[in-house]
Amino acid sequence: MADTPVRSMPVPAEPAVFSGVTIALAAPCARWSLRARDAALLEKVTGLKLPRKIGEVVGETVCLGPDEWLTRAPAGATLPDGAGEKVAVVDIAERALTLTLSGPAAARVIAAGCPRDVERLPFPYASRTVFEGVEVLLQRDAEDAFTIEVWRSFAPWLWTALTQAAADMEHLPA
Amino acid sequence: MSGYRIDGLGRVDRSRRVNFTFDGQAYAGFAGDSLASALLAHGVTLFGRSFKYHRPRGLLGAGAEEPNALVTVERGGGVFTPNLRATAVEIHEGLVARSQNRWPSLKTDFGSINDRLGRFFPAGFYNKTFMWPRSFWEKLYEPAIRRMAGLGDAPTVADPDHYAATYAHCELLIIGAGPAGIDAALEAAGTKQRVILIDENAEMGGGALADPALAAWLERSLKALAEAPNVTLLKRTTAFGYYHDNFIGAVERLTDHLANPGPQSLRAPREQLWRIRAGEVVLATGAIERPLVFAGNDVPGVMLASAARTFLFRDGVAVGRNVAVMAAHDSGWKDACAMARAGMGVAAIIDCRSEVDPALVQEAESLGIDCLIHWSVVGVNGRHGVKSVQVLHHDDFLDRRLPCDALLMAGGWTPSVHLWSHSLGSLAWSDDWGAYLPDKPNEKVRCVGACAGKWSFGSGMNVGHLETNRNPAAIKAFVDFQNDVTAKDISLAVREGMKSVEHIKRYTTNGMATDQGKTSNLNALQLASAAMGKPVPEIGLTTFRPPYTPQTFGALAGHAQGPLFQPTRKSPIDSWAEAQGAVYEPVAQWRRARYFPKPGEDMHKAVARECLAVRERVGIFDASTLGKIEVIGPDAAEFLNRMYTNPWKALEPGRCRYGLLLGEDGFIRDDGVSARMAPDRFHLTTTTGGAARVLNMMEDYLQTEWPDLDVWLTSTTEQWAVIALQGPKAREVIAPLVQGIDLSPEAFPHMAVREGTICGVPTRLFRVSFTGELGFEINVPAGFGRHVWEQVFAAGQAHGITPYGTETMHVLRAEKGFIIVGQDTDGTVTPHDAGLDWAVGKKKPDFVGKRSLARPDIVADGRKQLVGLLTDNPAEVLEEGAQIVADPNQPVPMKMIGHVTSSYASATLGRSIAMALVADGRARVGQKLHIPMPGRVITATVTDTLFYDREGSRLDG
Repeated sequence: MADTPVRSMPVPAEPAVFSGVTIALAAPCARWSLRARDAALLEKVTGLKLPRKIGEVVGETVCLGPDEWLTRAPAGATLPDGAGEKVAVVDIAERALTLTLSGPAAARVIAAGCPRDVERLPFPYASRTVFEGVEVLLQRDAEDAFTIEVWRSFAPWLWTALTQAAADMEHLPA
Repeated sequence: MSGYRIDGLGRVDRSRRVNFTFDGQAYAGFAGDSLASALLAHGVTLFGRSFKYHRPRGLLGAGAEEPNALVTVERGGGVFTPNLRATAVEIHEGLVARSQNRWPSLKTDFGSINDRLGRFFPAGFYNKTFMWPRSFWEKLYEPAIRRMAGLGDAPTVADPDHYAATYAHCELLIIGAGPAGIDAALEAAGTKQRVILIDENAEMGGGALADPALAAWLERSLKALAEAPNVTLLKRTTAFGYYHDNFIGAVERLTDHLANPGPQSLRAPREQLWRIRAGEVVLATGAIERPLVFAGNDVPGVMLASAARTFLFRDGVAVGRNVAVMAAHDSGWKDACAMARAGMGVAAIIDCRSEVDPALVQEAESLGIDCLIHWSVVGVNGRHGVKSVQVLHHDDFLDRRLPCDALLMAGGWTPSVHLWSHSLGSLAWSDDWGAYLPDKPNEKVRCVGACAGKWSFGSGMNVGHLETNRNPAAIKAFVDFQNDVTAKDISLAVREGMKSVEHIKRYTTNGMATDQGKTSNLNALQLASAAMGKPVPEIGLTTFRPPYTPQTFGALAGHAQGPLFQPTRKSPIDSWAEAQGAVYEPVAQWRRARYFPKPGEDMHKAVARECLAVRERVGIFDASTLGKIEVIGPDAAEFLNRMYTNPWKALEPGRCRYGLLLGEDGFIRDDGVSARMAPDRFHLTTTTGGAARVLNMMEDYLQTEWPDLDVWLTSTTEQWAVIALQGPKAREVIAPLVQGIDLSPEAFPHMAVREGTICGVPTRLFRVSFTGELGFEINVPAGFGRHVWEQVFAAGQAHGITPYGTETMHVLRAEKGFIIVGQDTDGTVTPHDAGLDWAVGKKKPDFVGKRSLARPDIVADGRKQLVGLLTDNPAEVLEEGAQIVADPNQPVPMKMIGHVTSSYASATLGRSIAMALVADGRARVGQKLHIPMPGRVITATVTDTLFYDREGSRLDG
């Protein structure tokens, strides 16, 4: 089979552009869930620098819990799987996809369904939270730049919800 | 009464005429008018018919408290909104409104016969009278009562509008933009705090809108707030509920007030739900004036004095040319004088108190107002409007006629403590106010202004019923206007033994209407207090519950309608199935292809074809929705050994095992085939619906029972697309596509797993079978699921590959007697009941549920066991859920010994098959049992659950 495998994504490849926000599907990337009691051991196994505070982002690595991290890398990258060590490295590249929200209205669009105080989130910062009933990983990279990582099967719902909220926002004064 | 527009007063924009209709008649008002003020300006007095007695009703209030003037507003295309308060409907060009609960018209309403018959149905009448015969209630009594008693009609057309929702955070939330709320906002303007000020009206200002002396202050203040970057002003927004930790629900109305909201597709959301988390809440919700209780207090034209003042100064509408005021409170005197000074004709102030502040009397007299102190109104003359009132001197008990065209009531003030009470702040009775005031807070909240009892309306007297010289049993003096509760209903409730205010409320329905007793609760308390001879605080107060005013379902649903109602999870291959015309079924949150009909096929035919294709050639099935968990760590095998019933420690890497999961009660919770990928890495599968539950259960044990184990769990359900390829040709189909895996039966036996690539995509290839045929489950990264599926499907064409859905999967597994957790089990089935003893490790020291398997009830005889059933008539397919009896000739009710759990027409076997849970089922193998159905009884023979390929010879293809 010489054909290059074709990747299918459940949300449109074309960005949705609104007056205050652009919502787009990010390029595919590698993702790993990292678990360990001992962060230093995990750093040794993976060669990554791990943030220690929940919500903290160092490079492409996020601390999600006392023993849990997420790290990302360009598609095709590899990471040692830590076999035999007291760590867990799981490839979850395909479990989720990432949507980017950029523009001055991005925080308001996210606040339409996310109970966190989105406006006052520091950056860089990332945290597991929800958009209405759907679990997401919300990351703020700059004042006007957010990414939302969501499990693949929930992505069409989230895409519709975010674009609907952005469309509503055009009618509603800030 | 003859209301009219008065020159030079009010905030309405007289340069902008607004045309609208009410009950088909054309009217014009001004921009800024409510439906109530615009109609009042035309001399309209009659706004509605009451709930129970169909009495003609006019306006009582001018705001959220209005109980009478409920109207329906058309929204076009058969869409309408019922039960809106005319005082809260802003008029716009082309507005179409109509009255409710009347036939054939508001003026001539047949239902008003109820008023004449009123003495035959007092409080509790319905409950007592329509008890028997019981069967009549649903078919006859209830529909008839519903037709007669009621509010507006419920819309039958789907709501075409959409609704927005948002969360908001602020350090200070102020509810109510009257003078007190605005002052609180001004204090915080320019600070670093985020401030939100919300108000339910179209214009902010509250009571200040009806006080010309405050007009300049109001304009200045609102301008300052609008310019403050830290203040958000939300008008037309009702805070309807106050929830834990300063979480407030509010609805902002966005389009209903617009004459032309635009075409539906481009329209703004109709309403927006605000979910606000506030650091501190300031309640500036004001107070509501109380009516007085006397005969005729509901005649159109009898209204609250504060409402008349508001209509005059806010809207420029005088409610009459010659009005009288019935006061028990100083505020009535102040309002009367203010209105008289503004040019409205005030004939008299009647006050039931024996003494009134001389300064007030002097002022009233100087304005030419007749002052009748120690007098009460005992009757109102007029049916659709006030012609005159009968007044009674408390000393001589004789009544005389006083001509007037409206009667204004001033019974004192009730602070609006609704939201305070939602927040579970405590209340304390105040004799001065004759009402409950906020006492101790339960959240970070404070009350300001009238809501806190900190506003000077003057003083008054707390009265239940005004003095009268008439027979109290023969008069209707209304307490709750919306639910038609009268003073005598309250005394009847007390006479019949209701001692708690909560019981009185339910017996009389006082306070249970859409206005939640905003004008009636305190008067009812006073009346009950007098009837019981107990002070009010000993009787208590009914509970305030959200919403403060009725809200639309649309707003509460917010985004959650249409495609956003709930996520429909779709597998990576779903789009292919859709293009093939698959019929779907919901499984947990997923939709799954149930079968793939060809033209002219029904489900039965399609499933028969799909089943035979798998048995004879090869079928392809999307199993992506199965739950998957990656279990990693040095203690992974130990962990699984404790979770599952069977032994896991000896499983070699590269091999799979069926795992059975119990709860602590010993009952089956989930099952699935799992693989050991490496000594410290397992790939678990769970049922589709059980995925999240199983992960939670395992995390729970790991974190609370065995925190010493070095194991980590990661959900990989969505990491992998899973393509099940089942049938004798399965190996031939994938052989040319797979690289790096020896597919030969010797190198890759049943219940094994290998890693390699397929179609250039990395795969975890399982050799497993849920059909009894040679089978593979191809796990590939989800993004490439559809690609690999299409390649496999193309390669399978030469072998007659057939896509199949969940229905065929169910039939094929039933032919092999494989259970489906949740279908053949119901949370009360043990491994032994299900015939799965082989999957329970006898030598294991422990596993979740082991202890329960030795409980006396679990080991006793007579438990229901899973068996097969073969009907005498092979064409008969039993109904799933059908009950089973041993002797069909018993008298009804028969002893039921079990039920059918799975039942199908098996094309492979050329007959029907079924599985059933039957008491002592395995001991009954060979016996005939009976399944009674409407009009007939079906007979079947008990068998074991293995219907096909008893030797298992087909697993190798």
